[in-house]
Amino acid sequence: MSDRERVVMDAAPSLGALYAKAAGSRLRALLPGGKAEGGTLPRAEHHLEALVADPARLVAYQRLMGDTVRDTLPSVFVHGMVFPVAMSVMVREDFPLPLLGMVHLSNQVDHLRPISGAATLSATAWAADLREHRAGTQLDVLVEVAEGGEPVWRGVSTYLARGIWPGPRPGAPAEARAPFDIPGRTASWKLAAGTGRAYAAVLGDYNPIHLSAASAKALGMKRAIAHGMYLAGRALAGSTPHDTGYQWGIEFATPVFLPSTVDVAFTDRGDQTVFSGWGARSGKPHFSGSITTMAQAPGSGR
Amino acid sequence: MSDQTQAIRPAVIIGGNRIPFARSNGAYSKASNQDMLTAALDGLIARFGLQGQRLGAVSAGAVLKHSKDFNLVRECVLGTSLSARTPAYDVQMACATGMEAIGSLANKIKLGQIDSGIGGGVDTTSDAPIAVSEGLRAVLMDLSRARTTGAKLKAVSRFRPRDLAPNAPGTGEPRTGLSMGDHQAITTKAWNVTRAAQDELALASHKNLAAAYERNFFDDLMTPFAGVSKDTNMRADSSLEKLATLKPAFGKNLGAEATMTAGNSTPLTDGASAVLLGSEEYAREHDLPMLANFVDFEAAAVDFVHGADGLLMAPAHAVARILKRNNLSLQDFDFYEIHEAFAGTVLATLAAWEDAEFCKNKLGLEAPLGAIDRSRLNVNGSSLAAGHPFAATGGRIVASLAKMLHEKGSGRGLISVCAAGGQGVVAILEAR
Repeated sequence: MSDRERVVMDAAPSLGALYAKAAGSRLRALLPGGKAEGGTLPRAEHHLEALVADPARLVAYQRLMGDTVRDTLPSVFVHGMVFPVAMSVMVREDFPLPLLGMVHLSNQVDHLRPISGAATLSATAWAADLREHRAGTQLDVLVEVAEGGEPVWRGVSTYLARGIWPGPRPGAPAEARAPFDIPGRTASWKLAAGTGRAYAAVLGDYNPIHLSAASAKALGMKRAIAHGMYLAGRALAGSTPHDTGYQWGIEFATPVFLPSTVDVAFTDRGDQTVFSGWGARSGKPHFSGSITTMAQAPGSGR
Repeated sequence: MSDQTQAIRPAVIIGGNRIPFARSNGAYSKASNQDMLTAALDGLIARFGLQGQRLGAVSAGAVLKHSKDFNLVRECVLGTSLSARTPAYDVQMACATGMEAIGSLANKIKLGQIDSGIGGGVDTTSDAPIAVSEGLRAVLMDLSRARTTGAKLKAVSRFRPRDLAPNAPGTGEPRTGLSMGDHQAITTKAWNVTRAAQDELALASHKNLAAAYERNFFDDLMTPFAGVSKDTNMRADSSLEKLATLKPAFGKNLGAEATMTAGNSTPLTDGASAVLLGSEEYAREHDLPMLANFVDFEAAAVDFVHGADGLLMAPAHAVARILKRNNLSLQDFDFYEIHEAFAGTVLATLAAWEDAEFCKNKLGLEAPLGAIDRSRLNVNGSSLAAGHPFAATGGRIVASLAKMLHEKGSGRGLISVCAAGGQGVVAILEAR
């Protein structure tokens, strides 16, 4: 067992309240005598029981992503269900970095077996591995989702706080980014200006950088950007197996400013599908990732 | 089992009729699918004296269909002078609708289930169905389910002005978001099909179609409609120079490597076609001509969603299978009718059949199917010149090829039609 202190939550906190709290801490951090930057991660995990998917939201999510409406939970939908628990860790008083303005770098998820839409789930979230990044400080937020004590979903989300370093600011980065060769597209997504609002309406993630040009500008973005998890959800829709477990991961390169057309390349290689997306006009890479079918779902025989 | 198997008898193509095809939002902009298919049927009925007859079935379809047209073909039949006791049903398989309708009908004749039938198709992009937005539809559906004033008000409160924007049907593939032309652009580039080769094929299509009109080939295959007596897309005076001036219309993301233009791609078109088939006994009994046998047909589909195959390459697979089943080689044909969805589709398909690697890896063949005699390809023009009202193309091709084979008096013809969703239908006809 972990040496983390378990904080058992009574109910899922509202993301709106969490963002309000995050906005408050961001403000306080900017004031003289504000909270120390860098530092260490809280040695705590937040735990919530009795999470059940809202069927109407599930259908709305599947429609939004262009996926088939099924009674099993898409992996990104599970992420959305447990995101308030993860976020509650990141707005703790002793969390060393400001949540708002934090950059979402990547996700790695083990979707261990098909999860019923009616399943009663528990979620445990904690932060780990605070480390240096050339542009600031990065850390992982881990969430483990279980049904009846059996793990069914494990996710690692990696975030970056720009311009804040855990130790002294490192020298200029030696590595140069490899030039991006545009692959042959196999799909094209036309993302409307309201894409961020549509995702927020379904999964409740009302982070202002996704909602409108004005709210995004307030946080230093030139326009609203698509949720990383929206892009992940689109990539996974129709590409994940629905009768067995799978692993998937996505890395984000540059933000998708809305509205936008994203060209996407999918390639199937045996049990794996790799994908990448880039700006149809800009040619800039937005994301890349993969989906790997698990040969046999652990626990499927139980 | 074997003693219950009935002998399979030939299905004979007796003749066909279509209305001239018209470019979208032109001559037929006020005509509905029902109007056009009825016109094609009326002409066919008049030509072969079918008035009052109860046929075995009328099988046809449309790709773009209004929801009110749930029984489109039956409604058309009721509007003709065929016996009202003629059953009819709608088929839909994207651009292969006509081929599937005709092929399935031929199978019923072969099995002795029916003695006669009409197969065909119709499409209009001028009178296309326009649906309300998903937002408005959801509000309207909830409103119709609401039982109390409160529930009704709640449903109405969810209406947003943006929901007034209607949904028009598109030619995009739902799973990829790419238009059919943009999909073909990927395949065209993968097979290194040049702009010049595509323009040459397009020019040949116009010249061949014009020559066919010149020698009155279509006189007994067509009935004028709405003042139109020739396909309005045909440009007999086109030239390679004119075609070379056109800017790329698809695959524009390829920049300087884009080769597909409005000239070497089919335009949106309105039109209808119908083909009369029957058993030999039926044709003899009614003193009707027998142009060709509908020998066999085969459908295929490819894995295009993640790009393993090109969207419109299914016929390449279907041809390999139908040749094997009929113990024929690709060179055993006197005419090849390869539907020109895009010039690039035809040229990529021909290149694939010649490619040893493709034939081995994709078709599972030891040797490539090989090249065809290009002088036998689309000899009376095809969709680039005539236009392509999606479901009507199969009937146009079957009727024309049957007539060509009958004129020649011997030999075989191969039909290949690609379709949205990575599908395709191919068929073999034999002269009589």
